[in-house]
Amino acid sequence: MHAFLPKYESHHLMSVRNRIDHLFARLAVFFATVLAFAIAITSQPKTAIGEESPLHAHCGDCHAGNDAEGDFSLGQIGSDADNGDYHALSRSLERITAGEMPPPTSSVLSTSEKAAIVHFLKQRLRSHPDQINRDYRLPPRRLNNREFENSVRDALMIEDVGTHQPTDNLIGDSRFAGFDTHGQTLGFSNFHLEQYIESLRSIMDATILSGEQRPSERYEVQPTQIFSAHTSQNINRPERRGRPTGFDFLDPKQLAYFAPFKTVPATGWYKISIRCTALDRGYYPATETGIHDADPIKLVIQLGNRHREFELPDEEVMVINLQEWLAEGTRLRLRYPTDGLTLRGNGNFKFQNAIAGEYIKKHDPNLYKRVADAIVTKPGRRVLRPESWHHWVDYWRGPRPRILGATIEGPFYDSWPPRRHTALLPELESGKTVEDLIRPIATRAWRRTVHDGELDHIVDLIEANEEKLGKTEAFKEGIVALLASPDFLLTATEKSNANERFASKFSLFLHSTLPDTRLIQQANTNQLSTFESVHEEVRRRIRSANIQPFLQEFPYGWLNLSEINFMSPDPDRYRFYHRKRLSEDMCNEVLTFFNHVVEQDLPITEFLEADYSFINADLANIYEVSDIKQDSHMRRYHFHNGRRGGLLGMGAFLTLTADSLGTSPIHRATFVMENLMGIHPTPPPADVKIEEPDIRAARTMKDVLRLHQSEQNCATCHRNIDPFGWAFENFDSVGAWRDTYENQTETPTKKHNRHDGPRIDASSTFADGTDYADINAFRRIISTPENQERFARCFITKLLTYANGEVPSDYLEIDTILKRAKDHDYRISATIAAVIDSRLFREE
Amino acid sequence: MGHTRLSATSLKNPFDLTEVTIEPNGSIGLNACERRTLLKGLGGTLALPFLESDAFAKKTPDKEPLRFLVVGNPFGMHPGNFFPMDFGKDYQSSPTLKSLDWLRDRLTIISHTDHNMVSGHGREISFLSGVLPTDAQSFPEKNMSLDQLFARHVGSQVRFPSVGASLDSGIRMSWTANGVEKLPITDPQQLFNHLFLNLTDQQKKLRKQMIARNASILDTVGDQFSETIKRASGKDRERLQQFETSVRELELTLSDRLTWIDRNKPKLDLGSDFLADGTIRKKYEAIFDMIAYAFETDLTRVATIEFPAELNYTDLSGVNRSYHGCTHNGRGEDLVNELVAIESFQIECLSRCLKKLDSIRVSHGDESMLDRTIVLFGSGMGYGGTHSNRDLPILVAGGGFKHLGHVDVRDNAGRNMPLCNLYLTLMQRFGIERDSFNTSTGSFEALDWS
Repeated sequence: MHAFLPKYESHHLMSVRNRIDHLFARLAVFFATVLAFAIAITSQPKTAIGEESPLHAHCGDCHAGNDAEGDFSLGQIGSDADNGDYHALSRSLERITAGEMPPPTSSVLSTSEKAAIVHFLKQRLRSHPDQINRDYRLPPRRLNNREFENSVRDALMIEDVGTHQPTDNLIGDSRFAGFDTHGQTLGFSNFHLEQYIESLRSIMDATILSGEQRPSERYEVQPTQIFSAHTSQNINRPERRGRPTGFDFLDPKQLAYFAPFKTVPATGWYKISIRCTALDRGYYPATETGIHDADPIKLVIQLGNRHREFELPDEEVMVINLQEWLAEGTRLRLRYPTDGLTLRGNGNFKFQNAIAGEYIKKHDPNLYKRVADAIVTKPGRRVLRPESWHHWVDYWRGPRPRILGATIEGPFYDSWPPRRHTALLPELESGKTVEDLIRPIATRAWRRTVHDGELDHIVDLIEANEEKLGKTEAFKEGIVALLASPDFLLTATEKSNANERFASKFSLFLHSTLPDTRLIQQANTNQLSTFESVHEEVRRRIRSANIQPFLQEFPYGWLNLSEINFMSPDPDRYRFYHRKRLSEDMCNEVLTFFNHVVEQDLPITEFLEADYSFINADLANIYEVSDIKQDSHMRRYHFHNGRRGGLLGMGAFLTLTADSLGTSPIHRATFVMENLMGIHPTPPPADVKIEEPDIRAARTMKDVLRLHQSEQNCATCHRNIDPFGWAFENFDSVGAWRDTYENQTETPTKKHNRHDGPRIDASSTFADGTDYADINAFRRIISTPENQERFARCFITKLLTYANGEVPSDYLEIDTILKRAKDHDYRISATIAAVIDSRLFREE
Repeated sequence: MGHTRLSATSLKNPFDLTEVTIEPNGSIGLNACERRTLLKGLGGTLALPFLESDAFAKKTPDKEPLRFLVVGNPFGMHPGNFFPMDFGKDYQSSPTLKSLDWLRDRLTIISHTDHNMVSGHGREISFLSGVLPTDAQSFPEKNMSLDQLFARHVGSQVRFPSVGASLDSGIRMSWTANGVEKLPITDPQQLFNHLFLNLTDQQKKLRKQMIARNASILDTVGDQFSETIKRASGKDRERLQQFETSVRELELTLSDRLTWIDRNKPKLDLGSDFLADGTIRKKYEAIFDMIAYAFETDLTRVATIEFPAELNYTDLSGVNRSYHGCTHNGRGEDLVNELVAIESFQIECLSRCLKKLDSIRVSHGDESMLDRTIVLFGSGMGYGGTHSNRDLPILVAGGGFKHLGHVDVRDNAGRNMPLCNLYLTLMQRFGIERDSFNTSTGSFEALDWS
């Protein structure tokens, strides 16, 4: 949640536990900066706009002179002689357009006055030297780890970087405002470089094979040779093995392995055949196991970092046949993917065995009695009652996959050297020069034309190594050097031309990888020089290309989803959230909704206004919805009470803005302002001193904030912040509806949250006098055309931040994008295309 | 051991690059007989230890660089016997901590700090980060443990950025910035070999070859790059310079490593009675002695020592049951006594090591090595008997802090202090300039230093 805090700290994760006071301190001066209009000032500087102009008449009372309110005076937007401060101009425009300035308590603008002021301010911006001399070129940035992995894959023309987890050593990328594309945040150090070299070497070793071809072998795996791997450090306890009838998956946390084939002995193709079935789905009540009856039982085959998932048929043998290129050292593991079997005890699987005892007690009382009677308590030991899980381990019949056996054969090769090797280095033995061979790889990897002489150093390296290491190994060194170079690791440097940069950026934006040949060709022949052509291409790619990286990463960054468990809900009070891994469902809800908007090419305002979302049975439990199929699949659902639908009712937003035990309207307000409305509170100067009010008498959050507002410092800000957050007060820390607060004095019970605290008041009044009673009314306010436009501007800014790796500051150019998006009813494909077609994206 | 194989092993961990990380099952190429001979042959070579890092000191520091020692267990401590009854510097010492009485003015015992985890086993692995592997994606440094963060800070200034030791098995205490578990060396003989045994000529040769290969790649990239940067305009230049600096720094690191390979390690004679037939006390004493000597000779500045769950503590007097069994004592007096015996043993080992460190005068400045060593003892579990992960038993010693005795660190609302606040303070003490660490809400300001 650090992303809601001021930028200068956001590269460090900050705890948010004491955020209320914190935020007060930080936000105090923001509104003091831009908003506060209270004290009349007499001295007024000469401004470009006459004393009788609307700007002067409505703003001059407060924003003039050295003591101007909010550290902003009309002088900052310029005089006849100077153009003023660009930032101050665009901030003023934002506030006035949004209707927040001037505050209705001070002054009321007529429509024509407002238009005149807006026109005037835009004119100022347009003629501002910052605008006229703006250099749109962005500095290169390091590829983030995702882009690195995808780009290496495409440069080497392989299916992925390899199953031996060759990029696991890379240093994690820090995010800025949620995004992992931020140039300044990504940074570059010798640690990075060293890890890149190691990673590249390891990828090359599994792609280009030298030496003798390895003979193929066949491995038969009997069920008794399948083991459940240790998950704890207790390695003295023997691992559970399969029975002759099959290996059953019990604890979903445990991974199974084949004793005859623990790791891949040599890189190459392998045929893997696994005979398996699904058992006892629905045997125990779903309420006990936490596994929905309608969910198929699945099996995941983990080939290092490549995962294959299969749905198994009930009580029927299925043969899974795989053919995979596997790297030496890859671990083959199998897993039962489910978010169930964690509802008992502290969540450890062993406690689930008690379910078997309960089932037998009900259905086979004789057996139950036999087991209970056979319990002998040794002297000095704990007395274990019959219902204790210990006695029922052998009777477990929970839903589970069973493996009946497996065959693995390999390594195979399509040719020797293998085809991926010859595809990359064709005719290594022929008469081609070293440079001829590596030029195509360099051209792909560097995303540009490679000029004469540029490869000299790499050719030298290869030739110098040839005698020592042999031809193949020497080439591998050369390719590692080529990929460890800034031309690959940094996005377009000045050596690429405008078309090449555009293709590269377009591709990074939508695909997080190197541009494909079509894109390069389109860019080189100027086929993407108009909005229409870009729009057409974006639509084509949405339909038929892999834009998964965009569909995943953009919403993740925009909505800060990576932070959902940074201050996760209290595990004692919100057991269900943790036990059923609700955070994953919540993120999936966001991604599914985003995907839907893109796929259907809906207006982006759908994010705020939709009365539906995509939920499964576990989310339905939190949202208190019953008329939905009881399984894990995400389905479209229309909410009829007007409280949910779109982003504003999603658990992800409501949870990631909450603390462990409580919620804060301020955090939610800040989230809405920063990520949906595009309002950015700036941090106060460090010397601001906030008196901490005495809040001991406060009973509810509203009381707490009211007391804070008794401090003038706090009040000026919070009049403007709080209204964006109060509406969500009826949603608790996991986004469930509540009419009253939890009773904080009670210790949290494990069964259920106590909601018998004070009644919740979710009403509030915006600074412009608009008020609302509850979330329903708030949602109507947020859908006005002004707010739609504000949201669209914010969304466009987020797209640009993701694409450019820095926050755009060009108000007018964003205005142009906004207008174009609006002309297309804010349809998402047009909005994206307008961003790509902008000067900010094209950097020209 | 083939060429490629070596590269994979030796370069797996980004911040432990100078030496092969010994795999739990692996040795480094000598048979047991040779090793034993070597060990015995080293007697009497303990005169003036040569400081490993002297050759690399770019400038002589005014003060001895700080060391960091973490000692941890998986089950916490029996609270009634660990935490003193009263607070302040004049606390009455508790049964478990009796052996540390000599150090009471250089000790801080912290009550009411934790990572806010629910009860149960398995969460203790978050001891040094406050983050469980399952939540690691929310944090840029994943669940990187404190020791690894310190090790990264030290880098290649010393031969081993960090050393992890345990007996028989580990407790999953160390994690890298990529969320990968860093396994401790669980055999004292292997630890000895790792720390003090020189590489064979063949091993040296292979390592040098790999370093040379990486160096020539850097050369190539650097050459090619110098032309790029020459032409770069102001906008590009800044980012490109970052890259250029990285190339140069990595070249220096590689050359440091080359020097390490050629330099002999310091010598240490421990006798041989800690080997297979030794008691666990003997073995732990050997482990602690090796770490103390590694600190003394500046072989490493960051060390972790673990007391695992499965170890057979029954050769300690008064212990008849398993460690885990003793934690489930149902408050039976006998069992509690056994547990306290195990826990006291852990503290005794620590105390003996700290005494040793205190007897070492550092070469830069007039202090003991203990005053230059930040010592952290604790566990990610509060107390095994209740499976509680709240109120962790945490103790800080040495490190030149103005120690506090026994402190209650709850805030005015009665909430426990995030343990990461303490970690932030330890980091700052170590010279790492940061203002937050995972779940910290600030630093533990009460623990100051001069």
